[in-house]
Amino acid sequence: MKLNSRNLITVIFISFGSCRTVKPYQRAYLNDNAMQINKKNIDKLSSDMHSYKEGASGGGRGKSSGGCGCN
Amino acid sequence: MKKKYICFSLFTTSFLYGVSQVTLNPYGIKRISKSNIELVYSQYIGDGDHSAITGGLGTEKLIVYEPEVIINRPIDSLSGYWMDAGIDVITSASMDNIDFVKSSASRVSKRGYIIPGYNTKLKKHRNIIIGGNGYFSIESAYRSLGGALSIDYVSKDKSSEFSAEFQAFFDDLRWGLLNGERPLRLVYPSELRYKEWFSNYKRNSYNLNLSFTQTINEKMILAFFPGISFQQGLLSTPYHRVYFTDSTERVEKLPDKRWLIPLGVQLNTFIADRYILSLYYRFYHDNFGITAHTIEADLTVKISSRFSLTPTFRFYTQRGSPYFKPYFELNPDQPFYTSNYALSSFNSYETGIDTRLAVPAKQKAKLYFDTIWLRYSYYKRTDGLYGHILTLVLDMISDKNNSKKH
Repeated sequence: MKLNSRNLITVIFISFGSCRTVKPYQRAYLNDNAMQINKKNIDKLSSDMHSYKEGASGGGRGKSSGGCGCN
Repeated sequence: MKKKYICFSLFTTSFLYGVSQVTLNPYGIKRISKSNIELVYSQYIGDGDHSAITGGLGTEKLIVYEPEVIINRPIDSLSGYWMDAGIDVITSASMDNIDFVKSSASRVSKRGYIIPGYNTKLKKHRNIIIGGNGYFSIESAYRSLGGALSIDYVSKDKSSEFSAEFQAFFDDLRWGLLNGERPLRLVYPSELRYKEWFSNYKRNSYNLNLSFTQTINEKMILAFFPGISFQQGLLSTPYHRVYFTDSTERVEKLPDKRWLIPLGVQLNTFIADRYILSLYYRFYHDNFGITAHTIEADLTVKISSRFSLTPTFRFYTQRGSPYFKPYFELNPDQPFYTSNYALSSFNSYETGIDTRLAVPAKQKAKLYFDTIWLRYSYYKRTDGLYGHILTLVLDMISDKNNSKKH
């Protein structure tokens, strides 16, 4: 299947359409540290290095500015 | 210059607004005695043979040591402030080649930075969090001043979250900012200092980062990260050499405006009770002609309730910019040109392992370890660049109430 914007939107709608309300006492798995979406500090040097050594940055990960990294 | 003041004024206003809310009506607001302190030590050792400083051919040997401290201090159940500060020590063989003098003062450089931040829940809408932070970073040929404002909304059943962050950075690329050398000036390769190649030494960056997080069920969560960034000013690095097919030499030249469009998607899910799979995909495009795709997969294995191992894998592929050509292959008639391999077409791979140990809390200790993380990863770019990355994070808790019990 070719990944285009129409397929992506379909996947998004299917995903959100199957969402279930999770009660507070059912959040044990969701509260696990490895389930957290936020970037962790242990990722920082790795994502900074990607920003310096690759052309792309941003999109939830990586550094957008604030340093040279020109070496 | 005015933009800097506007940015800091916005940050200060949001800070004072948050403080006044807490002071005026403290009903239902609890004091919190615990602070979180993270000590981070990271190290990068890498090498390659395509340094942009020597025109796309030459050593890229680089060693970076990064000690850092991050402090999160809640004021009460609504608000808190945080600070992130660190010093990077960079040993770069390629920086030594700006003037081709071995062991010159440029070889070891330092970067210092400090990021103070504040965030608060709105008193009447506690599912909305507003925040702001300043940003200051300085190194020998780069100073960055900036800040960010953010807003987070969490639905009442906590199944959805939306956040928006606007960042602005105002950078100065002149040499001498850290070591006090005067006059401040752009530094060019030694043999190209017969003229001023650029009249502008400033670089401004504006980033809008959005995120939508949706809980799918009690074991699965999905997030989207659309964003847009704009950079303006001196986007070339003044000491990057380029060599043309007619054997002439100049300084790298890139457009003075850049639009960057990233879109990230992440899915985290429990597979049985012991395994957590995290999948991440990112699409990226910019007006330099770069299109990139990133895929990351992490599998956390819970060995016990306190100890976990996470093998990580990352694949990145990039279609390069037409401004890029290797050493001595650039056409002198091109309006823009670079031999920086970060803008070339390549694939890269990174694989590593995380270990995480949750330390049992000490009931009467004023300061105790909460979590210890250790990560090693190996990075390889298809043009030959490689790097080893090691990071240690000591996550500690400071509890004032515990100290009072003694």
